[in-house]
Amino acid sequence: MKSTNRHILIPAVLSTMAVFLSFSGKALAVDDGARAYWKARDGTTIVSLQYLNLNMQASDAKQFAPNQYIYPNADTEANIMVASWARHMTLLNRPSSLSVNLVAGSVDVDASGSLDGQFVPPGQTAGTAFSQSSSGYADPSVQIDINLAGTTPLRSTVDLLNYEPTWTVDAAVMLGVPIGEYDEDKLVNMGLNRWYGRLALPIKYHFGVFSPGYMSSFEITPSVWIFTENDDFLGQELENDPLWQIEAHLTQDFTPTFFGSLDLLYRSGFQSEIDGVEVGDDVDIGDFGFTLNFQSTDNLMIRTSYSSNVFGDNDIDNSLLRIQFVYAWHPLTENSKKLRTGH
Amino acid sequence: MNIKSKNLSFNFPLATMLTLTLTTATMQVNAQTQSRPNILLIVADDMGYSDLGSYGGEINTPVLDQLAQQGMRYTDFYVSPTCSVTRSMLLSGTDNHVAGLGNMGELNAPNQVGNPGYEGVLNKRVASVAELLQDNGYHTYMTGKWHLGLKPDQIPHARGFERDFSTLVGGGDHFDDGWNVEWQIPKMPYTEDGRPIKKLPKDFYSTRTYTDKTIQFIEEGRKDSKPFLAYMAFTAPHGPLQLPDDWLRRYKNRYDEGWDGIRLQRLARMQKMGIVDKDANSADRLFFLPRSTAFTPAVRVMQGRKMELYAGMVEYMDEQIGRVFDYLKEIDEYDKTVVIFISDNGAEGNDLRAMVAGQVGSFGFLHAMNNFAENGHNSLGRKGTYAEYGPLWAQVSMTPFRAYKGWVAEGGIRSPLIVSGPGVKGAGGLNKKAILHVMDIAPTILELAGIQHPDTYKGREIEPMQGKSWVGMLNGSTQSPRSPGDWLGWELFGNRAIRQGDWKISWLYEPFGTEDWQLFNLAEDPGEQYDLTDKFPKKREELIALWDEYVETNGVIIGARSPFEQASKQLPNRVPEFDDYPPVRGIEAVPYKKLIELMGGGSEDKE
Repeated sequence: MKSTNRHILIPAVLSTMAVFLSFSGKALAVDDGARAYWKARDGTTIVSLQYLNLNMQASDAKQFAPNQYIYPNADTEANIMVASWARHMTLLNRPSSLSVNLVAGSVDVDASGSLDGQFVPPGQTAGTAFSQSSSGYADPSVQIDINLAGTTPLRSTVDLLNYEPTWTVDAAVMLGVPIGEYDEDKLVNMGLNRWYGRLALPIKYHFGVFSPGYMSSFEITPSVWIFTENDDFLGQELENDPLWQIEAHLTQDFTPTFFGSLDLLYRSGFQSEIDGVEVGDDVDIGDFGFTLNFQSTDNLMIRTSYSSNVFGDNDIDNSLLRIQFVYAWHPLTENSKKLRTGH
Repeated sequence: MNIKSKNLSFNFPLATMLTLTLTTATMQVNAQTQSRPNILLIVADDMGYSDLGSYGGEINTPVLDQLAQQGMRYTDFYVSPTCSVTRSMLLSGTDNHVAGLGNMGELNAPNQVGNPGYEGVLNKRVASVAELLQDNGYHTYMTGKWHLGLKPDQIPHARGFERDFSTLVGGGDHFDDGWNVEWQIPKMPYTEDGRPIKKLPKDFYSTRTYTDKTIQFIEEGRKDSKPFLAYMAFTAPHGPLQLPDDWLRRYKNRYDEGWDGIRLQRLARMQKMGIVDKDANSADRLFFLPRSTAFTPAVRVMQGRKMELYAGMVEYMDEQIGRVFDYLKEIDEYDKTVVIFISDNGAEGNDLRAMVAGQVGSFGFLHAMNNFAENGHNSLGRKGTYAEYGPLWAQVSMTPFRAYKGWVAEGGIRSPLIVSGPGVKGAGGLNKKAILHVMDIAPTILELAGIQHPDTYKGREIEPMQGKSWVGMLNGSTQSPRSPGDWLGWELFGNRAIRQGDWKISWLYEPFGTEDWQLFNLAEDPGEQYDLTDKFPKKREELIALWDEYVETNGVIIGARSPFEQASKQLPNRVPEFDDYPPVRGIEAVPYKKLIELMGGGSEDKE
């Protein structure tokens, strides 16, 4: 029974909230992560804290991130903390999850090239190098994910025991709330100053044995980001086309408490217009990376990942390092521990 | 095992006269070549009494059920409490204490080692039925489990099987990894046609491969017109409970309701089918096992998963047997074949996995670590796992009896028996009159083949068969090969029993017994629930006297050590609740699902 209980718990712990980031600076490098849409028992709560370090070097090409742009000949470093809360539940008789993400940190930009006139913040001169920083809270976001096909609600331990999915298809809707710190006189901000959202279709295929130590999956999540207009971008109006994104993971258990993943993230679109005039090119960035995930206790999981752009037309170099702590629990599991330990 | 028969003393001189020379026998064989039937002897491994559909089980076994419709079923067929012991009697036709398996070779006690009858292998005091058939014009094929000796002169090819694909040991991996349950012999030794197999084929799965080989052997032997003996000794459903991936979830959630409900359903069907009398006492749930409704649905799902695997193995075996039948029909041999189907002992209720894995730090533990450590809920049944379904389900498989494999209570020694084929009258019938024993099968086969058992074999004297041929019973001229005065005896691991007519005495280690003789009337009490010692002391004494005769006749040596000598300490304590205690105070009137809801405050599935 002891070992079986552990096996019951592990899927609950591994099932994560939709980790989502929105920070000013060069934000495109962040994905949901491997096994982000795995299911947990109804009533499971997950909190997560992750640290991200993003480095980016841009060449002459002028490109935009979802919320800001990539400065030509700029070196950018962002250090971001993301605190997340997620709850697994049953909605419309389907497995679902609700997640909320709070983002804070800092971003520093050193641009050695010239700035076009549209991008010249107050105090700066067109055609000169500049440095700018921003820190504080970014825009929080909320996401709801609902399974469309492939599994029944996971209301009980019995449901978890019978849970051996093959294909699962979800729909996820995210909304970013523009309350992060924003200075209309700065090029570099933590907040976006505009509403934005994402529609995603997470698809998973589990192969092999759905048992700790043997689980494997191929996961692909096509999604589209949509942005409203930022009507105060250096006194101008910034608009963007939708950003199309495909995220994919090939995951494999190494042991019952240790899995790894190969990660791919491709984004395109997101043509920018300032005051109705197109600036820069479409985004076309492909990142490749890996993730290692270790479950240190029944409740705690530690994850690290690294990715870097390896294809695409954009002449930039970026890298993302992530360290994440995930803590998950379910009241019945915790009560069971109390009964067994006397605490 | 001993049969006391008035006919025995008459038959042996006659047999001796008829088999004075091999030439005589050979002439006889030649004369009968065209009329002698093929023999297909099928043995399941650790399968329970009530598992087949034709014996009241819910497991889907259409092939064997159809066989039962074509032939006869028997309710009182006995085997030994364990496999190799049964197999020694099956092939020799005589008692295990004579044939070399007075004890399992792996468990011989110090005072038994070296004594005649305790060789731990099928000894040379007997001739196997395969040897006799091989010498008398039969093709002899064997696939599956041997468990009667490892040395070159002890293996199937040396004991009468011209073709074989066999594992020589008692149990292990059903896949190509081929690990043995015993760490002393880490890999299961296999032989094919008498030669060791170095590596199993990649697609090896025991039941399927044994079936393939059986069909192959028969096909390759068809060049002449000789009949065949095909001995299919399946290793299913012996643990580890393992199945090909596409069969793993064949019974998904079928057993979630728990062991009590399934057992009661089986009992009801057995009563309806006439296998169990409605007014007879069935065994209670084993004293150390809780009622299934005491557990949450999740626990029952986890326990049920093991029974799912077991049921899958039984059905898979049934399907593979169907392949052999289909092939025999295709080559027009099915109607010339007598099919005998049995299990080798009661269902396995012991935790063999725990026994072989041993204690942390032991070689057994190291062996388990290397080969069968995986036991996740969704992993069970696959390569690298070792699931046993334990006493919860073994008692279901042995409905309506008490105990399970290893014990000489009815739950350890009763087996289903189906016989069908030419010369078997009473299609679809159920014989409840005959008391039959596995050592009857060899003399039955010999009589069907027109062969007399010799006094000597290859220059050595051999023991007479103690079993009694069923041919008269099969053709309907008698209801039983035994007279009311005939009796049967058992001894293994120190547990012992005698049955004569409806009466049985047994001496069992605690806690299944009292370590003294108990008396039961099996007609009224097949579950062995009521010790009638005080009521019928004289009958008890009569049967004890037969026990003494059994010991004397067969050279029984009670082991100084027994795997069950500390069973009372190893088995769990009696559960603190019974069907009638504590008293029902109304709560059980609440539907179970409602009760769960009330307790959990949520859906019926919440715990």
